[in-house]
Amino acid sequence: MLLDFDRLGPWKWVLITITTLVCLFLMLPIVFIAALSFGSSQWLIFPPPAWTTRWYGELFADPRWLQSAFTSLKIAAIVTVLSVGIGFLAALALNRGTFAGREVLRALFLTPMILPVVVLAVALYAFFLKIGLNGTMLGFIIAHLLIALPFSIISIGSALDGFDKSIEDAAILCGASPWEARMRVTVPAISHGLFGAAVFSFLASWDEVVLAIFMASPTLQTLPVKIWATLRQDLTPVIAAASTLLILFTMLLMIIAALVRRGSKQGTKP
Amino acid sequence: MTSAFIEIRDIKKHYGPITAVKDVTLDIRKGEFMTFLGPSGSGKSTTLYMLAGFEYPTAGDIKLNGRTLLDTPSHKRNIGMVFQRYTLFPHLTVGENVAFPLRIRRMPKADVERKVKEALRLVRLEGFEDRKPALMSGGQQQRVALARALVYDPPVLLMDEPLSALDKKLREEIQFEIRRIHQETGVTILYVTHDQEEALRLSDRIAVFSQGKIDQIGSGQTLYAEPATRFVAGFIGDSNFIDTDVVSVEGSHATLALPGGKLVSGVPLHSAGPGKTAALLLRPERIDIRAADGGPDGALKGTIRDITFLGNNTDVLVEIPAGKQLSVRIPFGHPMLGGLKPALPVALSFNPETVHAFQG
Amino acid sequence: MAMTATAAPGERVARRRNAAFAWTLPALVLILLFFVTPVLGLMLRSVTEPTLGLQNYAELIGTGTYARIFANTFLVAGVVTALSVVIGYPVAWALAVLPRPWGQLVFAIIILSMWTNLLARTYAWMVLLQRTGVINKTLIGLGVIDKPLALVNNLVGVTIGMTYIMLPFVILPLVGVIRAIDPAILRAGALCGANSWQCFTRILLPLSLPGVAAGALMVFVMALGYYVTPALLGGTANMMLAEMVAQFVQSLVNWGMGGAAAFVLLVVTLALYAAQLRFFGTRRIG
Repeated sequence: MLLDFDRLGPWKWVLITITTLVCLFLMLPIVFIAALSFGSSQWLIFPPPAWTTRWYGELFADPRWLQSAFTSLKIAAIVTVLSVGIGFLAALALNRGTFAGREVLRALFLTPMILPVVVLAVALYAFFLKIGLNGTMLGFIIAHLLIALPFSIISIGSALDGFDKSIEDAAILCGASPWEARMRVTVPAISHGLFGAAVFSFLASWDEVVLAIFMASPTLQTLPVKIWATLRQDLTPVIAAASTLLILFTMLLMIIAALVRRGSKQGTKP
Repeated sequence: MTSAFIEIRDIKKHYGPITAVKDVTLDIRKGEFMTFLGPSGSGKSTTLYMLAGFEYPTAGDIKLNGRTLLDTPSHKRNIGMVFQRYTLFPHLTVGENVAFPLRIRRMPKADVERKVKEALRLVRLEGFEDRKPALMSGGQQQRVALARALVYDPPVLLMDEPLSALDKKLREEIQFEIRRIHQETGVTILYVTHDQEEALRLSDRIAVFSQGKIDQIGSGQTLYAEPATRFVAGFIGDSNFIDTDVVSVEGSHATLALPGGKLVSGVPLHSAGPGKTAALLLRPERIDIRAADGGPDGALKGTIRDITFLGNNTDVLVEIPAGKQLSVRIPFGHPMLGGLKPALPVALSFNPETVHAFQG
Repeated sequence: MAMTATAAPGERVARRRNAAFAWTLPALVLILLFFVTPVLGLMLRSVTEPTLGLQNYAELIGTGTYARIFANTFLVAGVVTALSVVIGYPVAWALAVLPRPWGQLVFAIIILSMWTNLLARTYAWMVLLQRTGVINKTLIGLGVIDKPLALVNNLVGVTIGMTYIMLPFVILPLVGVIRAIDPAILRAGALCGANSWQCFTRILLPLSLPGVAAGALMVFVMALGYYVTPALLGGTANMMLAEMVAQFVQSLVNWGMGGAAAFVLLVVTLALYAAQLRFFGTRRIG
């Protein structure tokens, strides 16, 4: 009936129409921006009078764009490693531990995700002013780690929930020490969760704007800060070029994620 | 007992206010197939997990070969275990799964290969080395798990309801395999199940668990013929219980008054107490059924209420005085079978020496 | 002998529990030092700067300008939530029933838009919505309007941009909720004589309502504290709460007022999540 696509009756066309419109709405900015990045008009006239790669040229000619992209990459990479490592330990403790206050701890670990980022940004900015971490790499890493960690804990936690602890127990009775069993059996078995944690942590840091705006200094800024600062001045098509590259990068990540997921499925059911 | 291989002494396990195991004491001989039988929550699995080292007793001691096991962490106990759920390592092939304990023990490669082959042959899965566990049936997976648990020649093999996820036919098939493997390897097996048939089929001895303690230990025959408690009587085999009044007690035997006033004397009485009533155990297959006027003196008079044909046997439900209903089992070919019909009055009789009464 | 036999296992259990707790220490230290401490510090400043007392909160509540910002914020968050739910529900429903390749395509589009850099998306809307932008030109070209609408630098722009961002957050969880409904229930409803519309309003909608409510609340809370999109699409005249917090700190260097505004935002957020936990159980977020 209503949950069987072929028997939806009149609902079918209503749903298809709305879904199509929403898909167009969702794709509109992405397609539009990609088109504009090749348009010749400085004033972003659409459709563009002519096509050009001039804005990409300008983008790559300005070392500050590349520098900020490199900074972003470096921070995101370090945050990803730390977030997965710390998140794995925390998720394991929350999943396996029997200590009191486990639920309180879980809530505390997830709070940075639900709190408005601006509150954290302002608070952290004030705190970093006192201890001199604003404008430093370490400051960026700490700030981004705070918001990446909840994603990591959730992703790894749900993978652990779906993993039968008896399998780890079996490894222990086979003679593996508890940590040996975890590293040789549990970690490979929950690798999809660890991978998800890595992707989410990376994106959380890579795309993060608000904390970065507060943390940044003129000499150390991430790519989003660079875009933000440029945006506030004018709507130059160079941003369209940068955005298009970011979108391509995102698509690449999605494809890799899809391939990894398919690969892990194949591991169990070819 | 000096011959005991595993000694479990006064084991207790509390979880806060909840007592999972109270005072379990048990000796297991080398090479024995011992089954822990009981309903869920009776403490049988907890006891097994204490042997594995995943649970620690609140009090008491467990010894293997005269030395306490409690100071040894699970991974150094050198015990094999097959779990209730499928616990093969999903990212490894069958061969790698079975090789895992040997690799952990840093055994030379050639030996590993030989031992894995041997173990897979033992469970009749030669040639499955390169399969992934997800591609195998539940029965095959449990056989691989068995191979993995035996490949390092542990002195003790623990099995925690390993067949409960399989269907009946497959279960019986693997029961025979387990029996054969036990005979071939001579490993001491501790087996947990809630299935009495499985326990009877496999075990040398059965420990019947109830509410955190062992009610009786013995061979299947002993448990069936000489149940020590009403619980054991009810758990092993099918049973009818009749509430009776204790008229007199002569040593370990008693004279009981059945519903309707008939007296039976010379009934073995267990767990004697000050109570005035006792539950009389009547096995359905040991009750004699005859036409109402053909019964011996002292036979119970009753009326047939229902008849269920079950192939080998026919179950007859008979109502006796005081509204109580008894199930009587008669084998195919019994002379009475043709004449049975509902509402027929019948006489039931039994040999007092073969029944049991449980007081209190 | 008996003493050691009983003490040793107990100790080992205790040690095991502590070991599991110790694994949380890296995360715990990080959160306590760089999350709890800074937030508490900011709250403290809101009642101590410039002098001890609640004057910052009094000013926040008593001043008309600020009251308008609060009103703006709640209005925008409310409208964005309503739009997201009304538009998102049919899409989630479609996603739950669409045949595989089409469903996957819609899914991919939603994920792509969600994962695309926030600034890139907002930039696109700034360009699309401007006075000479494509939307205005198209509408004029179609003869719907004769002079360009003001779609950016006001709350309309903010609402469009935020609805765009929030839609996936309503759709994705709802798909799971709708898929979890047993189609047999709807068949039973139809056999009981309910027509298609009654099946929807009496069965499907009520059964998916917890998912709708959870998604709506999440979007509302996120919208309340959103910074980037309002700052870029809203313009200076139409500030929202998160911008106000940032303004106090960045431009006015008024830590007392900034802390107070941040604290209000924090309390409202946590209160709404607490309400959700209370009414919809302990379902985890995300």
